[in-house]
This record gives sequence, structure tokens and C-alpha cells, in this order.
Amino acid sequence: MPSIEDKAPVLQIRHISKRFDTTQALDDVSLDLFPGEIHALMGENGAGKSTLIKIMTGVYHPDEGEMLLDGEPIHVGNSVEAQAYGIAAIYQEPMVYPDLNVAENIFITHRTHGLLVNWRKMYKDAESILAKLDVKLDVRMPARGLTLAAQQTIEIAKAISLNVRVLIMDEPTASLSAHEVEQLFELTRSLRDQGVSVLFISHRMEEVFEIADRVTIFRDGRWISTLPRKEFTRERAIHDMVGRKIEEFFAKSAGERGELLMSVRGLNKENVFADINFDVYRGEVLGFAGLVGSRRTDVGLALFGVEPADSGEIILGKRAEKIRSPEEALGKGIAYMTEDRRQIGLTMTMSLTSNISLPMLRQYLSRFGLVQTQREEATAEQYRERLSIRTPSIQQPVGMLSGGNQQKVMLSKWLNTRPKILILDEPTRGIDVGAKAEVHHIINDLTAQGLGIILISSDMPEIMAMSDRIMVMREGRQMGIFTREEATQEIILTAAMGQNESVEEAA
Amino acid sequence: MMEQLKRYFRPEQLRELSLVFLIVLIFLFFGSQIQGYFSPRIFNRVTSDVAIIAVVAIGETLVLLTRNYDLSVGSIVGITAFTVGKQLTNYPDMIPIVALLLAIGLGVAMGLLNGLVIAYGRVPSLVATLGTMAIYRSALVAYPGNKIVVTNDLPEWVLELGRMQLFTIGEFNIRPVVAGGLVMFIIFQLVIAYLPYGRRLYAIGSNPEAARIGGLPSSQIVLVAYIICGAMAGLAGFMFMVRYGDLTVTGALGMEMQVIAAAVVGGVSTNGGSGTMIGALLGALMINLLQQSLLRWLVISDFWVNALLGLLILIAVTIDAVIINRLRDIWTQRGLEIKSVEEKKVVKERESHVA
Repeated sequence: MPSIEDKAPVLQIRHISKRFDTTQALDDVSLDLFPGEIHALMGENGAGKSTLIKIMTGVYHPDEGEMLLDGEPIHVGNSVEAQAYGIAAIYQEPMVYPDLNVAENIFITHRTHGLLVNWRKMYKDAESILAKLDVKLDVRMPARGLTLAAQQTIEIAKAISLNVRVLIMDEPTASLSAHEVEQLFELTRSLRDQGVSVLFISHRMEEVFEIADRVTIFRDGRWISTLPRKEFTRERAIHDMVGRKIEEFFAKSAGERGELLMSVRGLNKENVFADINFDVYRGEVLGFAGLVGSRRTDVGLALFGVEPADSGEIILGKRAEKIRSPEEALGKGIAYMTEDRRQIGLTMTMSLTSNISLPMLRQYLSRFGLVQTQREEATAEQYRERLSIRTPSIQQPVGMLSGGNQQKVMLSKWLNTRPKILILDEPTRGIDVGAKAEVHHIINDLTAQGLGIILISSDMPEIMAMSDRIMVMREGRQMGIFTREEATQEIILTAAMGQNESVEEAA
Repeated sequence: MMEQLKRYFRPEQLRELSLVFLIVLIFLFFGSQIQGYFSPRIFNRVTSDVAIIAVVAIGETLVLLTRNYDLSVGSIVGITAFTVGKQLTNYPDMIPIVALLLAIGLGVAMGLLNGLVIAYGRVPSLVATLGTMAIYRSALVAYPGNKIVVTNDLPEWVLELGRMQLFTIGEFNIRPVVAGGLVMFIIFQLVIAYLPYGRRLYAIGSNPEAARIGGLPSSQIVLVAYIICGAMAGLAGFMFMVRYGDLTVTGALGMEMQVIAAAVVGGVSTNGGSGTMIGALLGALMINLLQQSLLRWLVISDFWVNALLGLLILIAVTIDAVIINRLRDIWTQRGLEIKSVEEKKVVKERESHVA
């Protein structure tokens, strides 16, 4: 049987090193990418995956080493040059232009599209590329408001239109629903069959097993192993990724159910969700499961007053309360940690300290209305220790931290509001195995301290392992609440996908 | 029906329509209030002024689309008008086209400096052009000799150009300044609609980060936007000289504010990525029409004209933010509907397999 390696590699990465101040981000890394393979790259955050992508796309320049394209050394000065060499990347959060329509987004970087924009031809070409990908999208739709999956498709279409040879996919599935992931995989396989070399970065082991031809593992900026999928096992991957560290994957929730904190009755928001009913108790984790588009986040946002519900009751203690703004929610002991830390969760250019104190800034004022930075710093220092945030200093801009540590800063920020109920929206999305386990431990500690936690997560094993009870939603409807004992992966998925699916299961 | 409407009709176009409606309303209102309002004189005044503002607003719009500002345009108009006027006073034999090229060249040079500092020096545009606004204006003060250009010292062709009637429609004549403004408007409306460069301006303003990572030559595109903006301001300076003749160093002082107001009222977003030339033109027309009309309307004193204008701008922008965003939501919900329809289709397909 011919192996992938019989062909000539399209891109060779040779002994590349890159250093930032005191951290060696990449240390003598070599990797060959062959045409027509899906090559998975795994490793914890900080393993050097992002740095490698940025070097491949010309955002960073290596201190040492070189890249060979078809055996010829190339110098990639910037992303424009990378595209010219046929190297393109798509990211977890798609980089589209919201004010341009689908077709414009696909062809925006094209140089050879004539002197004038031929709109009719552009729409036709865009339609034919999308048809080739078997995707239905109105090419005249502005990208604003499209689903993440649709936006990603635009980016893939763009790469194809540029005759991509090496396509880097940086955690492309992190925010997709199961159905969308399947579509993306089909797309990826068809790209591979057309001879594209795909470098696929993911934290999800199942996905790597499903799609990769070969798997490479990085740790602490070093290449550890490259194996064909057949020789690759879960144990091997974890061993290679974490080294000698023994990590517990999922911490079990140990909190004991205490008094009733919140009851939600008949919560409605027109065209978004309807008739939502649940209770939250002290010391328990209530999971919100569902596919993307199930409107779990919208319920969270309603409880936090960002997008208040139209009708229904939120009973806190004994009184029905109206929550019309996040300020009111905070005042009543409800905090919400967003899934979107980059856009709205954190202010990336501000320090750890300022981010943590931001919602509670009023408490850090002196008698004369000035911010007392020493007290702010004391709080930041306290959370840095408590949640073991790894940072050179609490004055570090959060944008410089790794994803897992940013997540902990965001947690600190909301814990510092001293909530009774904490809503966590995808708290472990896009962070590595180690940081994920840490977040789970933190959730455990918090419930032990008496917090009620609502956990919104698309990660099925996570929600199964962490929740005491699981509420399943589907397209804005509540499909049921299951206790830990009742809940199995099949039951949750059946509820999340609706009745039709259970018919199929039966047949 | 609604779907077709949504496909070819954008909320932004509604704003342009409503501006046209408002302009007509203003016109009719003041026509009933001021005697002789529909006279050719007022028509000429307004159209000439609008032409100058609109030409500057066209350049400014290009810059605004990239999520940047150019506050120095007023100074560029002033300095080119004064310098060209002074040169024409000193060298009356200068060929008209040379004078025009001198004006545009000066504008290009100043735009280039702005662009280099902002696109390559990475200085925030607001700060950079705040600086050059002062510097360009001060350069005028350093000009040797008396700081005044008088109409009578200018060559005959300049005066002629200001009075000339290119063609007349009924009692109303179109002057060269107005025609120049219209030509520029048409050219740049085509540029943003049909040149790849135009689309990239929108892209950069719409998502600068994506532009940087996604392989658009952002710096180059922004630099060119500033150069064009400077060139347009230079051209407007020439028009300014032709229109007014008597010039001092304070000519076109504060014009940048009028220009940005025109663009914003016309729907050009200061967050970049959205806006049209027709919008900017309508914005300029509306603001100027109001200004000229209020000055002639004896009911309120001159003193309040600016305050009233400011208030109207605020109202326009606020209404806009509320209504246009609401409409955008309605428009974009369609994308979500499509998705759920697709999902339903998948479910249906599966069902049929089972059956």
C-alpha cells in the first residue's frame, strides 16, 4: 500500500526556532507536509502551535531554520506572500468582513480579477465555488449575521479561489454544532482528495481520530512525535502532550445540593426561546446542553439582563425579580461569563488587574472618587494565586496570555463580583487539556463553597461529567431536565436533536 | 416578495431616500418662509458651496471607510487656496492648468505626509491629523509678505471661471465649480463600486484585523486613501479660490468639521466599512442648504444657526443609529432563517431515508 510519504512533500519546515523575550516558543522544529494529507497538530496551549502557524503565514519570522516549498527555500515576509505561495489559514473565529457580502469576501484579496469589478461574473464565480463545496449560501448576503459555520465556509471558499496548496485550519470546529462539524469534515476530505495539504489543529481527540491521516504532537515548543493514525492511540497522545504530568481529564462535581437559589418559570422571548422552567440550587451545577442554535446562550443572556426576556418569572429566594440590565443582575448576585472572550469578555490591551476589577470598580474608589490601585492589585494577586493564573506579572496585558489563562482572568473578574449564581458559557472552549482540567477543578471548588453554577457547554463529555442535572434545549425549546443518573449521551443527544432522531434510532 | 426586496435593497439605501425626502422638505419649508427663495441666486450659492464641501467630503469618505479620520482637510483647502492665489497674484501669466496642478500637487504632498505617518508610522489618525491640521495651517502664517489675496489682483480667467455659465437649465445655470464637483462625485462613486481598490477600503474598515491577517495590503490602501483625500482637498482649494477670490490665512477654517458632519449625516460610518458617495453628497447638500437657509430666515439669529445645525446632526445620527441598526437586524435574521431551513432539510432527508 502506498504511503503518503512516497510523494514529495509540498512544504518542509526545517529546524525552525523562535524566541520571544524569555520564552522559547519554538525550539528546532521540523515537519513535512505532503500533498493530499490531513495532518493533525496537537499539543497543549503554549506548545508552539500558534507560533508555527504565524511563521507559516508570515506573521512572524523565524530566528533560525527555513521553509522549503517543493524543495525550494522560501521566505514568507507577510500574509500576502504566504497566499502567493499557496499557504492560507482559517481560524476558530473566522476573519470575514461583516460589511461586505459573501462573494466580495471570497474575492477581496484577488489581484487578477481585472481592472474593474465585474459584479455579475463575481457572483457567478462565487456561486460555482460554493456549489463545488456543496454549500448553499446566498452570495449577495452581507457576512454580518451569518453563522460561524457559514463564515468559515466563506473562508474556505476564499482559500480555494486562491489555489491553496497548504491550508492551515486552526481549531475550526471549536464553535460548530455536531452537524456543522460533519459538514466541515466532508469539505476537508474533499480538499485533501484534490491534493491540498491540510494542517488541522484541534483539541478534540475524537475529531483527530476521525479525520487525520497523520498526527504530530508538540510540547513546550518542541516536536515530540509524528505518527500515522493507525499507530496512534489516545494514551500515546496524552502521554506525548503532557509529558510526565498525569492529568485527570474530568473532575467530578462533588457539591451537595443546598437551598433553592433561583427558580425560572415560563421564561419567554419572542422568536428566541419559549417556556423555559428550571431551578438552581446552592452547590450544584446545572448543565445546559444542546446543539448550536439551541438558544442556550440567549437564556443565559436573559438571566444576566443583557437581552431581557419578554415575559416569565425569575424568582430569587422568595421574590420574583425583574432583571433588565447586567447591573441589576450583578446586584442580585448573578454573573455571566461569556463564551466570546476575545470580543466582549476581556479588554485585551488592559492589564490583568484592570480587567478583574472592572465590573466592581466602584468598590475600589477612595473617598475622593479615585481608583485605589493598591487594592485592585491585591485582588488581582489573590486571584492569580487562587486560580493559579500563569503570568509574568499582574500588570501583563491579558492579550499576551494563553487562552487558558485568559479564561481564568475572566473567571476571576466575575468571581470578584461575589455572585450567588454564576453562568459559565463554554468555559473551556479552545483551551488545552491541562487548563481545561484546571477550570473543572475550579468549578468544583466553587460549588463546594456554595455557588450555584449554570454550565453552558457544547462539549458532551464535559457537560456529562460536570453537571448534577442537565437541561437540554433545542431551537429555543426546553426538551427536558435529566439527573446525572438518568443522563446518557444517547438520551441527551436525542433530546437535543428532536423527536425525529429518536425515530431514526429506533429504526 | 419581501425576500427579493431584501436581496437587492439595503437598509443604507433607505437612509439615502429619507435624506432626499428631508432635503425636499427643507426646500419647500424655507420656500414658504423666505421671499425669493427659489431664485437663481440662492441656487448658485448653495450649489457652489456644496460642490466645494462635497469634493472634500468625497476624499474624507474614502478615509472614513478605512476606519480613519482626516482632520487636516480644512487646512489643506486653506493652504492651497491661499498659495495658488498668491502665486497667481505674483505670476499672473501662469497657465490655468498649471495652477490647477499646483493645487492638486500641494494636496497630494500633504495627504502623502498624513498617510505615511498613519499607515506606516502607526500613529492613530485622529492624533496625527490633529497635528498636521495645525502644522499645515501654521505654514500659511510663515508665508512671506502680506497675508491676503485680493480678487482684483487675480488674473482675469480666475474671475471668469467663477462667473462662467457652463450651461443653463431654465433660469438656473451650472457653473464650472459645480460641474467639477459633479464629475468628481461620479468618478468616485464608480471607484468605490467597481474598482477592487474601492471594495478593499470597505474591507479594511469593516474588519482591520482580518485585513491584516488575511493578506490585504492595508498600509498601502490606507496611504492611497490619504493621498486621494489630500488631492481632493487640494482641488477643493482651487475651487475655493475661484469661488471667493478674496483670501486670508483663515480661509476654510473649520471646514473639516462641516465635511465630517456631511459624511456622517449622509450615513458614512465613523467605525468604517459602510457608507456611500451619494450619501456623503446628500449629507453635504442637506447641511449646506440648511445653513444657507437659516442665515436668510430672519426668525432666528445667526448666533443660533450653528447650534441648531449641531442639534440636527445629533438627531440625524441618533435616529440613524436606532433605525438603521434595527433594520440591519431584520435583514440579517434572514441568514439565520436560511440556516434553520437547511437544518430542517437535513432532518427531512434523514426521515425519508428511514421511511
